[in-house]
Amino acid sequence: MALPSRLRALTRQLPLSPPNPHLTPRATSPSLTRPQTRHYTQHLTRPLQIYRSASTDPYLNLSIEHHLLQRSHPDSTILFLYTNRPSVVIGRNQNPWLEVNLHALHAGLPPQQPNAAAEEEGSRENKNVLPIALVRRRSGGGTVFHDQGNTNYSVICPPAVFDRDRHAEMVVRALGGRAGLGVKGVRVNERHDIVMDVGDGKTFKVSGSAYKLTRTRSLHHGTCLLQSENLGRVSGLLRSPAEGFIKARGVESVRSPIRNVGVGGEEFVDAVVAEFRRMYGEGAGSAMVVGEEEALANEEVVKGVRELASPDWIFGQTPQFTFSTHPTEDDPRERPEVKHTLPYGFQTHFTFRHGEIQSATVAGLEYHDFVDEASQDTVLSNALVKQRLHYVKDWRRTLKQASPVPVDVDDAGEFLNHMFGIQPPTPRGGGAVAEAVVQTISDTIVGEFLNGDIDL
Amino acid sequence: MASIARCLRVARPAAFSAVVRNSAARTIGARAFSVTATNAIRKYTKEHEWIDLSADKKTGVLGISEYAAKQLGDIVYVELPEEGKEVQAGDAIGAVESVKSAADINAPVSCKITQINLVLEEKPGTINQVAEDDSHGGGWIAKVQVTEEGLKDFDKMMDVAAYEEFTAEEAEH
Repeated sequence: MALPSRLRALTRQLPLSPPNPHLTPRATSPSLTRPQTRHYTQHLTRPLQIYRSASTDPYLNLSIEHHLLQRSHPDSTILFLYTNRPSVVIGRNQNPWLEVNLHALHAGLPPQQPNAAAEEEGSRENKNVLPIALVRRRSGGGTVFHDQGNTNYSVICPPAVFDRDRHAEMVVRALGGRAGLGVKGVRVNERHDIVMDVGDGKTFKVSGSAYKLTRTRSLHHGTCLLQSENLGRVSGLLRSPAEGFIKARGVESVRSPIRNVGVGGEEFVDAVVAEFRRMYGEGAGSAMVVGEEEALANEEVVKGVRELASPDWIFGQTPQFTFSTHPTEDDPRERPEVKHTLPYGFQTHFTFRHGEIQSATVAGLEYHDFVDEASQDTVLSNALVKQRLHYVKDWRRTLKQASPVPVDVDDAGEFLNHMFGIQPPTPRGGGAVAEAVVQTISDTIVGEFLNGDIDL
Repeated sequence: MASIARCLRVARPAAFSAVVRNSAARTIGARAFSVTATNAIRKYTKEHEWIDLSADKKTGVLGISEYAAKQLGDIVYVELPEEGKEVQAGDAIGAVESVKSAADINAPVSCKITQINLVLEEKPGTINQVAEDDSHGGGWIAKVQVTEEGLKDFDKMMDVAAYEEFTAEEAEH
């Protein structure tokens, strides 16, 4: 498969773990010395396999993982380790409008270490802002934040030996066990997460677990916060302005205070690999590095990336939900106060299925002509049905287009833009949330590889 | 449904006796109104799906077993199959989520999905309560048309007694 040259240049072997003196030389995978001639997929029938991704692309890493889940020998046990660039990762059955502050997501992360050279040149602008990817994974569970200070582990094994705590315990031993990294106070809690007790009765989550069970395989993957510099931003990223207005089917996240374990990524990888070998045998060898180019040379992996990166999956997979500005029978909560100035008597109620409006009630808009307002509201509401929320570019425009007569929509439109994470288009960007998310993908190497084939 | 042995390390569940008791109770309740169901035969897969094959061997109702539901824990969301879809035995037709786990629901036999249980969209926990109830309000997942191929798949499935033995063994491992 022909790949863009930039991709070639960026595909590299990560530094490998120092040789473990307890291992016989035979245990070192021969593929490590000849990465050009051995493809990782040639190892899928081995009883024990360890892989380390060289990519930081979340869509690619999750697709390599999915490929390992589907194509590895049913009796094999696999450890896969990867680190993603900044991403918000929602669970399979979650709602991005409820779980994520899409405005904060699209604003990206400020540069961690201001680039001195760029500052001198006076070209600071948005250049250094780190985009944040929005990802819906295939496993269950809640929303997590990833960045380069976080390493993910994943264990794929036969269902007969699957246990929700088994591999979280493995990571706890890697962190805190006698042969581990000497981290104090780590344990698996009743939610199958890894937490750290720091004294004074204070406990912080350092790792979250999620699972995917297929007919022949089970997968447990987890994050591990090691040295993230963005912990202070996570809470804001995961707090939607529409939280008080949306009632969703599916899965809601459980908030937990988080902290870093405080060990380096490579140290962590080595310790988890060592612990995996202790559990399953030295025959597992050392970690085989999977390069970006190598992974993208596999059609099934690419198919997986396309699926994960498509707005139909990220947004369209959302379980049914309602948005209402006022208490309803189904969602009687008092509504939060709204900062926006809204027309007196303004009310909306939407039901969304797969992100598409199934039913809409908009009332209280101010029409310019002398019309029967109630019936105009009905006409406008009906015209909104079938609109897909993730493709709405600007609610002011959407409302205006839905009304057969001139109507004041600025205040209501701005309010809905705010609620649903839409940056109204300006010369510098903005627009539908699907476009904004796809933009964060197409700016990457993997996105370039996909060649703009993601349909919008 | 995936094999989910030892998911939660629960003590060997009394799920099976519950299965038998419940289906008996359901049978009595449902039979009064249903003539065709009288001779429906229930069988199970190793992956813990069940199907009731109608007496005329043309249609069926399928779901996941009570044993599986108990092992999975609280089911919080059900992704239902797509109506009208034709599937082979073993194909993933939907998924259930419980305790952070997305578990595939697999077609026990080759079939065409004719109806889905929309009750589960709103009340996914119904599966935890009445996983093997194929009546209105029960935890069944889909109604299907069983193909020729599907009948052959059905022959290979376990009957109630064999499944009881199978789950007892799985729980002991």
